[in-house]
Amino acid sequence: MKITLTVNGTAHALDVEPRRLLADVLRDDLGLTGTHLGCEHGICGACSVLMDGEAVRACLVLAVQCDGRSIRTVEGLAGPDGEPHPLQRAFSAEHALQCGFCTPGFLMVAAGALDADPDLADKPDAIEGVVGSNICRCTGYEPIRRAIARAAREKRETTA
Amino acid sequence: MKPASFDYAVPRTVAEAVQALGDTDRTAQVLAGGQSLILEMHLQRIRPQLVVDINRIPELDGMRVDGDELRVGALVRHATFESADAVPGPLGTLLSRAVVNIAHPPIRSRGTMAGSFGWAHPASEWCAIGVALDATVEVTGPDGARSIPARDYFLGPYRTARRPQELITAVRLPLLGENTGVGFIEHRRTHFCFAQVAVAAALTVTDGVISDARIGLVNSADRPLRARAAEQALIGADFAPLPEGPRLPDDHPFARAGRAAAQEDAAPLAEPYADVEYKRQAIAVLVGRTLTEAATDLRSRLAPRQGGPR
Amino acid sequence: MERWTRREDERLLTGKGRYVADIHVPGCLDAAFVRSKVAHGSLRSVDCAAARDVPGVVGAWSAADLPDLPPVPYTLLARLSTEEAVAGREWPALVKDRVRYPGEALAVVLGEDRYRAEDGAAEVTAVVDPLPAVVTPSAALDDSVRLFDGLSNTALRGEAGAPIDPAVWQDAAAVVEATYRQQLLMPSPMECRTILAVPEGDRLTVWSGHQMPHRLRRELAALLGWSADRIRVVVPDTGGAFGSKSAAFPEFVVVAYLAVTLGRPVRWIEDRLESMLVATRGRGQDQTVRLAADAEGRLLAYELTINADVGAYPHLGVGLPMQTAWMAPGAYTTPHVHATLRSVLTNTMVTYPYRGAGRPEAAIAIERTMDLLARRLGVDPIELRRRNFIPPDAFPYDTPTGRRYDSGNYAAALDLALETVGYTEWRAEQARRRSDPDALPLGIGVSCYVERSGGEPGGLHEFGSLEVHEDGTVTARCGAAPSGQGHETVFPALVAKTLGIPEAQVRLVEGDTDEQPEGLGSFASRSAQVDGAMFQQTAGLLIEQARERAARLWDLPVDKVAWADGSVHTTSGDSAVLGLAELVKATGPLRVESRYEAGMAFPFGAHVAVTEVDPDLGTVNVLRLVAVDDCGVVLNPTVVHGQAYGSAVQGIGQALYEGMTFDADGVPHLASGFLDYLLPTYTEIPPIEIKDTCTPSPSTPLGAKGAGESGCIGTPAAIVNAVADALRIADPDLLQMPLTPDSVWRAARAPKHEEGVR
Repeated sequence: MKITLTVNGTAHALDVEPRRLLADVLRDDLGLTGTHLGCEHGICGACSVLMDGEAVRACLVLAVQCDGRSIRTVEGLAGPDGEPHPLQRAFSAEHALQCGFCTPGFLMVAAGALDADPDLADKPDAIEGVVGSNICRCTGYEPIRRAIARAAREKRETTA
Repeated sequence: MKPASFDYAVPRTVAEAVQALGDTDRTAQVLAGGQSLILEMHLQRIRPQLVVDINRIPELDGMRVDGDELRVGALVRHATFESADAVPGPLGTLLSRAVVNIAHPPIRSRGTMAGSFGWAHPASEWCAIGVALDATVEVTGPDGARSIPARDYFLGPYRTARRPQELITAVRLPLLGENTGVGFIEHRRTHFCFAQVAVAAALTVTDGVISDARIGLVNSADRPLRARAAEQALIGADFAPLPEGPRLPDDHPFARAGRAAAQEDAAPLAEPYADVEYKRQAIAVLVGRTLTEAATDLRSRLAPRQGGPR
Repeated sequence: MERWTRREDERLLTGKGRYVADIHVPGCLDAAFVRSKVAHGSLRSVDCAAARDVPGVVGAWSAADLPDLPPVPYTLLARLSTEEAVAGREWPALVKDRVRYPGEALAVVLGEDRYRAEDGAAEVTAVVDPLPAVVTPSAALDDSVRLFDGLSNTALRGEAGAPIDPAVWQDAAAVVEATYRQQLLMPSPMECRTILAVPEGDRLTVWSGHQMPHRLRRELAALLGWSADRIRVVVPDTGGAFGSKSAAFPEFVVVAYLAVTLGRPVRWIEDRLESMLVATRGRGQDQTVRLAADAEGRLLAYELTINADVGAYPHLGVGLPMQTAWMAPGAYTTPHVHATLRSVLTNTMVTYPYRGAGRPEAAIAIERTMDLLARRLGVDPIELRRRNFIPPDAFPYDTPTGRRYDSGNYAAALDLALETVGYTEWRAEQARRRSDPDALPLGIGVSCYVERSGGEPGGLHEFGSLEVHEDGTVTARCGAAPSGQGHETVFPALVAKTLGIPEAQVRLVEGDTDEQPEGLGSFASRSAQVDGAMFQQTAGLLIEQARERAARLWDLPVDKVAWADGSVHTTSGDSAVLGLAELVKATGPLRVESRYEAGMAFPFGAHVAVTEVDPDLGTVNVLRLVAVDDCGVVLNPTVVHGQAYGSAVQGIGQALYEGMTFDADGVPHLASGFLDYLLPTYTEIPPIEIKDTCTPSPSTPLGAKGAGESGCIGTPAAIVNAVADALRIADPDLLQMPLTPDSVWRAARAPKHEEGVR
């Protein structure tokens, strides 16, 4: 089936089998291997990407469902000049990653929340909801919470 | 864990969708949010030959109040209900308290309420609320549209009265009056698993007496359950101030209702880490606590009108 | 560099990390395995014909189709297995005639991609006649169901310490006994296992998310009948391991064999459902304990009896429970300790090291029993521990089980933990709640653990090298293979500091057997203790060589040439100075190889948990967790504390959430993956505080001991003890991990121990 996927701002015309998951098309057809498959049943969230700005599990969405839609992956998180996203800097600063396998998923769920809510820094519950959306086996989560809070504060300060 | 091959249809109207589902040569599944369907396809428990993606049918989107009912279109996502103000009155509060127990934000932004009714998992929060409040499931099939009352809709785990050629177009829920208090409490082992037990409750008080009680039990039988014996134990009871302390006395109506729900209404199935005896215990405790929450909700609703302190 | 805390971070945060599944090799085939649905059975037939007709399928094979397929290798490393245990118990890479664990591979299908491979696998049919399955050591022990005809299920017996004179028990003022189940756990790294085998000419390059590339090379070479230099194993980014990624698994054998046989690249990217069935398990012991003390609370004797669940084949972990036996005494001066074990085969996937690997089982047994004894004696559990700690001046300390603890100050760690948690205040709160009928019961639990790091004798060394380039940069190489420990940051920093050059000038290359011909790998918390010391030693050798070269160049005696800040200079005060770059330009390539052998080290610590229990539902709410760890000298506190935190969360997982149950036919209830096997999520994480004390190890020049496994070892018993303390239960056997709500509810209804006693 022929579809058009806009990924990180670039439109791609693709011919995909209906059964192929968005995650597999991103990884295999487009070579965007930053989106990882950790469980393939929607639990761990390592494959989370933004679909029209909203965080989704790329293993629970068929690529054909995304025809005409806009996808953002971890590869599209940095600025156009390669400047790291505040979340990327904050994750490093707070040591919010160890093996790094779950990291793109956390980054994208957090990026969606940050884009949707400029006041995320003032909403600890919402930040906890983001951290509580995915699984990490290395860090114990607290550094991830701190990193998202840090990026949210930084973003509010720069946009204020 | 890759899904097996299937054909894919993307109807633009309900009529097209029904036509696609009418192809009886192929086992078909409706794809709305897909957060259960695609999961089950990964786990190899469902292998549809045809997937009918209804996400591009505009008439299925949207939610509206229709008389004394809320009509929730088949594409309305779980996340819609996160704000208590999304739906008027106590029903909005009940749905907002329940929805946070459904997985987590990325799942809630895709999954739909109608999809939960279609899937009919015994641990579904929405389905238990549906049977408790006498919801109605609207379906459209080759023979036209029909409405199925929730009490007739759920037939067993993942089994419903919807025929394979029918599409759920909406779920209707009755609005709740301001003299109704609501509660929802879920008990599960971690944030990432289904409820061992959860309870939805709505208590209506007229002239200081409980005039109506609705109790929905999650994962307390092979299907969502309305705890009628427990409700009967409450109706006519005085809406008395809550006892001091976190524990209900054994002779409190809420405690009695909890025991009735556990012993008479529930038909729990044993699961790993929750045998039947434990589930009955959890049901009794949670019904009591959820009724307490509903009573507290009602008092806070009534207090401003009576000018009392909140 | 400043922008990123670790060198690894930039690529991992921008999607540029490279894990095995990310590597694109043209023409690579994906393997999918057809797996047994039964736990135990006789294989009658496998029919792959239909699979071969599936579009995109390149081939499908059962064991009958591959008569030369080698069996799964076994390991003698760290005494994990023994020749006697594996004799007569071959582990075929594909089932030949007997299925011994659920999910054991019956056939393999290669497809152009994973979708096609799975399409093919779905068409393979097999007939297996079920046999009764045994899934716990207690059930398997009597040999009424045998996994190998004619052989006992007991594959190994072992002991540490000497049998205890019965008079000791008879004369003791107090003797307590208990039984504990250390449940089977899934290590669950977020990346499952991976292997990509690429034949090139007469060589094979194997990419794998792995902890021990040189072992993998050696084992693959042996099974292919090749010399090891024909195989290159490369470990790219690895998505966590926790002990579970260091062997040559059945699927690895099949993939390597088929890649070589077909002359085509083949990969196996394990998916999560496969992992649930056939990834190695951790823990798995049924224990009974007996502990005696005199009237003053001085420990007299401790006996630990272990029936260990080693799974269906003894090849990888039959000796692992010995670790528990050796570490049985814990932190105490108990004069008589006797640990005996039987490693018992069961119809489960094999048990193998998982973070902690034998030490959690030891620590949990002794620490739960210490609390039991304290209640029996009517003394504060803290006081009982203090009376029996090995004192700081008693090191090196020889335990009755044959361990020589290097250094320790156990009371200091406990003091810091108690002060940090606010022990006195929590005891007061507990007393208040006990007089308030409406209050939820609150408990405080401590766990003082000793662990062992670095490895076992014969595996305490590591290889590495430093190479100076003409631009003055240094390439450091070693045999390690990290899976999130930050080696690329920590080791170059250490080398740079030792040499006195900027960190940016040092680059680490590891996880590649062509770059580093010999190596051991990353296990047993050895990064700082063994690899760190190795690099420090190698840097010293490099300095010596630089001085010798400069001496020859300048025609001076070596003792007239000194080293400072990355340069050689003369001690006479003239102006002759040569930086590393100039030295190499003047004297040729400079590469120093080294092998360093460390001693075993014994990190320790004290963890304290405060829990609140809802007795009506059985839910446990951890209010506070304090973990004080002592891993000697810490090279990078950020990295070490990060691992301690994550490790503590895994310890919480064992205590409260993680575990598996089995159906009547011996198949684990894991068909819904992470909906069945519950890892801790953010919602479950209590406030955790990590602190450390520092007691340097005398057995390495850096003074570093192993870090990273502390939480798995120290945390579970603290939580279980806190729950037992909250509920005041008389029978400790009622609380078995994971402390699920149903089990805690039942325990809460059981008789309490006598009043007036904690």
